[in-house]
Amino acid sequence: MGVLLEHLPELWQGLIVTLQLTAASFAGAAVLGVLVCALRVSPVRVLRALGTAYVETLQNLPLLVLLVLVFFGLPEIGIKADPLVTAIVVIAVYEAAYIGEALRSGVNSVSKGQGEAARAIGLTFGQSLRHVVLPQALRTVVQPIGNIFIATTMNTALAGAVSVVDLTASAQRVNLVEAQPIPIFVGAGIAYGLIAAAAGFVTGRLERRLVILR
Amino acid sequence: MKWFVAAAAVSLLALSACGESSSPAVPGATSPQSDILAKAPVATAAEILPGSTMEKIKQRGELLVGGSLDAPLLSQQNPATGEVEGFDAQMGKALAKYILGEPKVKIVNSASETREALLANGTVDVVFQTYTITEERAKQVAFAGPYYTSGLTIAVKKGTTGITKPEDLNGKKVLAGANTPAIPAIKKLAPQAEIITFGSDPECIQALKQDRGVAYVQDETILIADAKKDPSIEIVTKPFTTDPYGIGLKHGDDQMKKFVNDWLKKMQDAGVWQEIWKTSIGTVVTGDAPAPPQIGSVPGS
Repeated sequence: MGVLLEHLPELWQGLIVTLQLTAASFAGAAVLGVLVCALRVSPVRVLRALGTAYVETLQNLPLLVLLVLVFFGLPEIGIKADPLVTAIVVIAVYEAAYIGEALRSGVNSVSKGQGEAARAIGLTFGQSLRHVVLPQALRTVVQPIGNIFIATTMNTALAGAVSVVDLTASAQRVNLVEAQPIPIFVGAGIAYGLIAAAAGFVTGRLERRLVILR
Repeated sequence: MKWFVAAAAVSLLALSACGESSSPAVPGATSPQSDILAKAPVATAAEILPGSTMEKIKQRGELLVGGSLDAPLLSQQNPATGEVEGFDAQMGKALAKYILGEPKVKIVNSASETREALLANGTVDVVFQTYTITEERAKQVAFAGPYYTSGLTIAVKKGTTGITKPEDLNGKKVLAGANTPAIPAIKKLAPQAEIITFGSDPECIQALKQDRGVAYVQDETILIADAKKDPSIEIVTKPFTTDPYGIGLKHGDDQMKKFVNDWLKKMQDAGVWQEIWKTSIGTVVTGDAPAPPQIGSVPGS
């Protein structure tokens, strides 16, 4: 326990980076995820295929492979970004596939009549998605999206592989000197657990408020 | 092509992270490495004290060694034969022979962050993994040895100027392996340096070549091997630290520590230590084997 208090400043700094990574990449994933979902439910065949390709590719690649590939691969063709930026973009792109799929399951739960009615009053595909279908879809997938948020938090721990000093990496650095893995990693684990618990609490409350009883 | 290389490197990294590996004695094998082990000493029955850790290992029939599978020259798994080769790996096998009469080891792939826990809970008997003896660590584990002394040095991209000593790293981006003694050493000698870490040596080299940092601080042996393979990098200083590597043992096991120290002394006196050095580290470092470090000469050992 003493070892945690002694190194609190470094671990705190790591926690801040973890929170930044989580917040920024989740926000990016949310925006991209809506686009992916729109592609997958679009009436245009080519766009649907594009959405399917995106989801299938990213869901079948381990995030660590993607991170290392992008981080070391892109500079070879002249694109070099800051490690933190690289990590945020890669995690956002990766998680967007999962958010897209969660949203699509929500869209499928909206009854067909809603879409037909939207078209009947002259709304375009985009308008009916935005005003009629997505708001209803979102309400049914609060919990799955919350779970993706928690998964995103845990996945940020991989950013250490591309030199981002997040909570996991700073715990490793502290342990390098102190050689007390059990208190250090239990401490870091509790911090991750608290983030997940907070996310679970928020999504639980949101779901109860937003749920549509059909 | 470069993409392909990157992808291949990534898959290799993933493979090297795979669990554990067992390397039984190969009957009839006549590689130079197994010839050396034939000369390695075997403990007398009287030295295996009743009720001791050594006796338990002997009854089990194999030595559980915490080590790496991806450290060139020290402990690296040969993908063709499955054998783990290098200085640390050979020392582990020689210790197994000392206890069991045959070099039967099971290498448990341990990481810097788990070594202390693996020793404490008995998952491994010993750790041979460039385990630098420090006083902090000696509070958690017992160290026999030191059995090898190494030091950190600096590599740069060929043609880089202005870096000739560790202090020159101040204010610069410096690469280091995650969980290596390079991190505290840089913090001490060049407190204004920005330290950038990656999990493995090939990644650090790649980052150096992509200008993610101007210098790479790493163990001299590893850097010499890197510079031999890749002419675009060069080493700019002599070693500026002394890292005594110890054999990690369970904390408080004085019997075992004395036993391993006695073995190490016999290894040095019989010249087996020197031969193991020659067939591993000595394949890239020129000249004769160095004098082995004095056993017990380091605080914490």
